[in-house]
Amino acid sequence: NLKCVTHNLRKMICTWDVSSKGRHGQTDFCYTTNDLPSPVCFKTKEKRVEIPVPERSTTVTITTNSVSGTAFATKDFEIHEKDISFVPLTPRILSLTPDFSTSTLNLKWSDNGSVFPYGLGAFWQIQVLRKEAMEKVTQVTYYSKLTHEDIILSWNWTSDMPLECTTHYVKIRCYINVTQFVGPKDWSDWSPVEAIPGKDTEPNGNGVFPQDTVVAVGSNVTICCVHEEGQQIQRMTYGPDVYPMIHLSSRSSAIRVLNASASDTSGTNVVCILSEDEMEGTVLFVGYAPDIPQNLSCETSNFLIIKCTWKPGRPSGLYGNRKTNYSLFERISGKNVSCKVDEMNRERVCGFPVLADQNIYDFILGVSNPIGQTESSSLLVDLTRRVHPKTPEKLAVSGNSSTSVRLHWFINGSFAEIRLLCQIEISSGHSERKLHNVSLHGGKFSTYMAQLNALRPYTRYQFRVRCSAADHFWRWSDWSRVEEHTTLEA
Amino acid sequence: MAAADSPSTALGRCDLCNRGIRLAGKMRLDVTNLLDTYVERQGLDASASVAAVEGVPVAAVERWDEQTGTQRLLENLAAYRAFRVLLAQMLEEQREQLGEADTALSRALAAVLLQVSAFAYHLEELLRLENRGPPSEEGAEPPPLPQLSLFERKLRGLGVLRELAQWALRSARDLRQLAKASPGSDSAPSPPDSP
Repeated sequence: NLKCVTHNLRKMICTWDVSSKGRHGQTDFCYTTNDLPSPVCFKTKEKRVEIPVPERSTTVTITTNSVSGTAFATKDFEIHEKDISFVPLTPRILSLTPDFSTSTLNLKWSDNGSVFPYGLGAFWQIQVLRKEAMEKVTQVTYYSKLTHEDIILSWNWTSDMPLECTTHYVKIRCYINVTQFVGPKDWSDWSPVEAIPGKDTEPNGNGVFPQDTVVAVGSNVTICCVHEEGQQIQRMTYGPDVYPMIHLSSRSSAIRVLNASASDTSGTNVVCILSEDEMEGTVLFVGYAPDIPQNLSCETSNFLIIKCTWKPGRPSGLYGNRKTNYSLFERISGKNVSCKVDEMNRERVCGFPVLADQNIYDFILGVSNPIGQTESSSLLVDLTRRVHPKTPEKLAVSGNSSTSVRLHWFINGSFAEIRLLCQIEISSGHSERKLHNVSLHGGKFSTYMAQLNALRPYTRYQFRVRCSAADHFWRWSDWSRVEEHTTLEA
Repeated sequence: MAAADSPSTALGRCDLCNRGIRLAGKMRLDVTNLLDTYVERQGLDASASVAAVEGVPVAAVERWDEQTGTQRLLENLAAYRAFRVLLAQMLEEQREQLGEADTALSRALAAVLLQVSAFAYHLEELLRLENRGPPSEEGAEPPPLPQLSLFERKLRGLGVLRELAQWALRSARDLRQLAKASPGSDSAPSPPDSP
């Protein structure tokens, strides 16, 4: 029963059996194909030879000899392509790299493509195993195209439990889809397993894993407790609740929390109570990815700082060094500013410096926390149309006439590039309040002046003032403090 | 044997001792309340047993009644100086971990830290009255905090507060002992009135 297997469609390895009667010496092996001028013969002690894969067929003659060299038996074989099995070589794992922070394994292997003609399809079956019993956790089939070159392929897999919990193993095999090869085709052998040892194999690997991690509300989380050999886990609690344990190895057990709900501000404790009252634990922070910021709005009160506000949406439930971070990106200048935001304060504010010679700003608010990131839609702002002056200060009223007064006030800000519209409210006693509008050249940290006429003599008046941009109204400032003044007698 | 005290010194010490006893009593109350808040906010089990925490002075003492007044003061001062550092570390961690989210716990921690600092100062005053300046704090910096996980820090905080509550109890008894001791009996062992 001569069997021939090829691993690369060019050479094939033929093996055969010999009856056990008598003591055998060397074997004479001859083969010929129709494109060979004469048979190729050689002697071999093995019952295995490597010869070329024939275009159509090969005739093989095998003569077994006795130890003294006399021929025992001779057999001829006609080998056609259909008689040759095609089994790719076992794939070679180049590296298996763990990322403990994300519980991800990265597998790299060579596709050995240089051995095959261009363009063949290759299927790679990858198995991940776990626990002492090396139970199969997952098996995936990955497809690639061979390019007649040796390409390094890469595959990532995220475990449903921290890699520290127990040893993870990976192995791989392949199947090459050679449609034009008529012989039987099969999967390669499995590669030797590559292992990522868990903490339960380390002398002082004790602890609860994952350590102090952040997950999204609704996640299913596996948390394990690695302990000393011989130690018993009395119970494992998640928050106030005791959970059933899953045995991983003699030094590791886990609990599975489904659809985790939001944790308190200080996180949810996961405690592993061991024999002799020992305790290990970790803290899990369960929160939300940031919401897309809504109603982004930007204005300036002084042409020095642009103040942007927004509605944050659902709170993330994450605080301290896990809280949501905001940054304001301005596309035209390419400048990025990170915002200092108080998570407990409902109003969200971020300041961006007014840039020289730039009135148009294209803002995007970026938001991120350990669970996710997002950004607002962009906001195009013409600063001259978004002026919301600060409250006028130091309002002073003067006048040595019975029917007119002069008002002076100061506004903190640099408005030299715009005109201001200021509104003066005049009230006295029980008469109706009047509003007097005045348009002024903006100044840089200036004091402004307006004169009011046609007042009644010897009358006590209350004045206050507010301002806004004259050309493109956006918002009034707040009213200044009230200032009182009595006109002189007529 | 210290020189005999003048009446004003003895009176001064007695007054300081009594004020110290009240301070310790108030501190004990506040630490106990803080402990409840801490356990609740940190999601801990109030009955959790916490192994001895490195760097936390232990209140329990053998042959308590054989200690001299100065020994009591020196041990108390060393303890409250250590607690001042430990509480400041806890406050820092609290702000780092929770930011603005749990100001109530931070405020309570800060309040107890203030009391601990005040009590340490009070002990220094008492030591000065014993004609013995308090030991300098140079070179007494605490060992750097070991790299702990969040859960270990929570447990450590629990251990610190529990031990502080015990110290407040012991300090009150130490100061009562000091107040009872007749002037000039610095080395005289305290009457057998073991806790």
